[in-house]
Amino acid sequence: MIHIEQLRLKFPGAEKRLFTDVSLSIKKGEKVLLLGPSGCGKSTLLQVMAGIIPRSVDVPMKAKALHIPKQVGYVFQDPDAQFCMPYVDEEIAFVLENLGVPRAEMKEKIDRVLQRVRLRLPHVHVPIQTLSGGMKQRLALASVLALDPDVLCLDEPTALLDEEGTKAVWETLKEVASDRTVVIVEHKIDHILDFVERIILFNECGEIIADGPTDHIFSMYRSFIAEQGIWYPEVWETYEKPKTAQQPYHPSEVLLHVQSLRGFRQKEEKIAVADVVIRAGEWIAMTGENGAGKSTLLQSFMKLIRTEGDMYWQGELVKNDEVLYDNIAFVFQNPEFQFVTNRVDEELAYCLRLEQRSEYEIEEEVERLLRRFHLSAQRHLHPYQLSMGQKRRLSVAASVTERHRILLLDEPTFGQDAKNTFALLEWLEAYRQQGKAIVMVTHDERIVSQFATRRWIIENGKLVADETIVPRTLVRGGI
Amino acid sequence: MRWSIEHKETWLHQTNPTVKLLLFLPMFIVIVFVHNPNVLINWTIGFTALFMLFSGYRMKHMLLFFVPFFFIFISTSSSMILFGKGETTWFRFGLIHVTEESFYRGVHLGFRTLLFAIFGLMFALTTKPVFLFYSLMQQAKLKPKYAYSFLAAIRLLPIMLEEFQTVHQALKVRRAAKAKGFRGKLELIKRYAIPLLSQSIRRAQRIAVAMEAKGFTNERARTFYYEMTLGKYDVYLFAVICMIVAMGYYVADAFPYVPIKDVR
Repeated sequence: MIHIEQLRLKFPGAEKRLFTDVSLSIKKGEKVLLLGPSGCGKSTLLQVMAGIIPRSVDVPMKAKALHIPKQVGYVFQDPDAQFCMPYVDEEIAFVLENLGVPRAEMKEKIDRVLQRVRLRLPHVHVPIQTLSGGMKQRLALASVLALDPDVLCLDEPTALLDEEGTKAVWETLKEVASDRTVVIVEHKIDHILDFVERIILFNECGEIIADGPTDHIFSMYRSFIAEQGIWYPEVWETYEKPKTAQQPYHPSEVLLHVQSLRGFRQKEEKIAVADVVIRAGEWIAMTGENGAGKSTLLQSFMKLIRTEGDMYWQGELVKNDEVLYDNIAFVFQNPEFQFVTNRVDEELAYCLRLEQRSEYEIEEEVERLLRRFHLSAQRHLHPYQLSMGQKRRLSVAASVTERHRILLLDEPTFGQDAKNTFALLEWLEAYRQQGKAIVMVTHDERIVSQFATRRWIIENGKLVADETIVPRTLVRGGI
Repeated sequence: MRWSIEHKETWLHQTNPTVKLLLFLPMFIVIVFVHNPNVLINWTIGFTALFMLFSGYRMKHMLLFFVPFFFIFISTSSSMILFGKGETTWFRFGLIHVTEESFYRGVHLGFRTLLFAIFGLMFALTTKPVFLFYSLMQQAKLKPKYAYSFLAAIRLLPIMLEEFQTVHQALKVRRAAKAKGFRGKLELIKRYAIPLLSQSIRRAQRIAVAMEAKGFTNERARTFYYEMTLGKYDVYLFAVICMIVAMGYYVADAFPYVPIKDVR
């Protein structure tokens, strides 16, 4: 089906070749997972297999032999960047138009592919904008099925989805792809291990270091996989969390007290909380379905949207929003939106300058932060040039200063590999130990059970549960 | 977030977008070469009636759409009226010099902008972008490459607007949403523009790759999900426009509101 022999590929401007003499072949009907550290070239290789490189993306490459199928279906990572039409039916029709399917047959074909991916909509003419991330990815799968390809290539299709969407996408895929050749690149692999039968393992130099049946690769290369920060099923079991995690903090003085807080979007009430107190040393994990109002509640705490109700900061009524900005830090889901300068070290100095500290003091502090967040080597780069994990670290480091007492985070571990996630969680735990409070939106039950001291459940714009989490005192062993 | 305004589908929505474009565009040119204010006033009445009766939007919304154009009407006509040249002086005070000629010229200019506004609104409010580009591909032989690029770009606009709000919040939290002085303001524009643009450029590139991955090439002949045809409503529209234009001239001649036939 796919046969690549001695592939050489180098991105223009890159110092090193990404691939040197990579060879592999995939048989018809095989389900293959490409696994490796980020930046090893898995996605690039997938694009070569799909013919996207060099047809759509021009990258200099050479291969002794290259047999790739004519029609490949490709599902991309970003749900917002793979559609060109505004409505569901129009998007699938776009594929049918490309194939030259007669107009009369389109309606039926559209219904059929939507049914196959179990996308039940009140009507096919629904704006794509109104779908959730998981539904968008299933729509992407539907439009790929309309192509009727022999090979399906999936490039981290669930990296930007929550747990529920991830599950739905993989379940659908297992149903529709059982008789096709499937090649997957993915970091979160718990859901697909029973589906893929072969794993090709790469190292960071883009070399294939192992290729074989799933079970074999997992038993032989477990420690290598763990080192690469890949989310494999037992990753939490082998992880040793800091000893302080979930231990109560003293003294737990009240920082923020909100009374009948209500947050609005376009005149519509989106969140209402009756009476809530946030104490020093707390780690509050906020869970709930997509669109329940979790992010809205975080925004309400900062008065970033229109709110009603009273807030008390350490017992005093908040009259000026500045008090909130002074004491509460907010880390957004997309780190790029929060960067304000052109250099990593400038970024760290920005908030310190606002505090009118002396230049000497600022320099000391920036140095300390660079070391603390492992960004010293990148200090002269533009924040956009950093990797996913580095950007996340920088956005946390730059938002938080000494004076902040509460840290609000909107899904900070989203799209991060295991290594970066644990590093961030450990930093947050150390931060909590300084008497700070953490409020964080998350979909990861493991974070809740391993790190949080308190859990809020949000449903339909209401806080329906507020419970203290008692740590399980278990002795954990390593591998 | 709501991006569309509720409305009924009327026969104006059913007309072929390319035909509509071909009928409206020449009107913009014709209007510039009409110098009789009576004709323009009649046309304004006629086309406003067409718009109000058949665009399918609620009166409240239509009046709201007109608010900005009303201000443009006032500003364009008043500057002409107050500082124009002319012989028959009505009023003079310092720099202000109102003459009969400048008054009619100002009013004429005002109605011209109002007519432009009506045609623009009528087209924008009764034409779906998707239909416009499908029609341009089918009737005007526009290359699919351009048509779908525009459609993909239209999809990006609401996403960009949401991102703008997020960037604004993110900057506010870091106390970077305000700046003093000219240099500060310039810096501020950069702070908003760079994340928005870099995000859009990357997204646009990804969408382009995704489109080609879905088999979008110039090589194959394509079929169309929406078939855009010419119909009776296009004839109606043509007839109505001809009628309003002709009636405008006739009424201007038979029952003039103002005694001037040429404002030049």
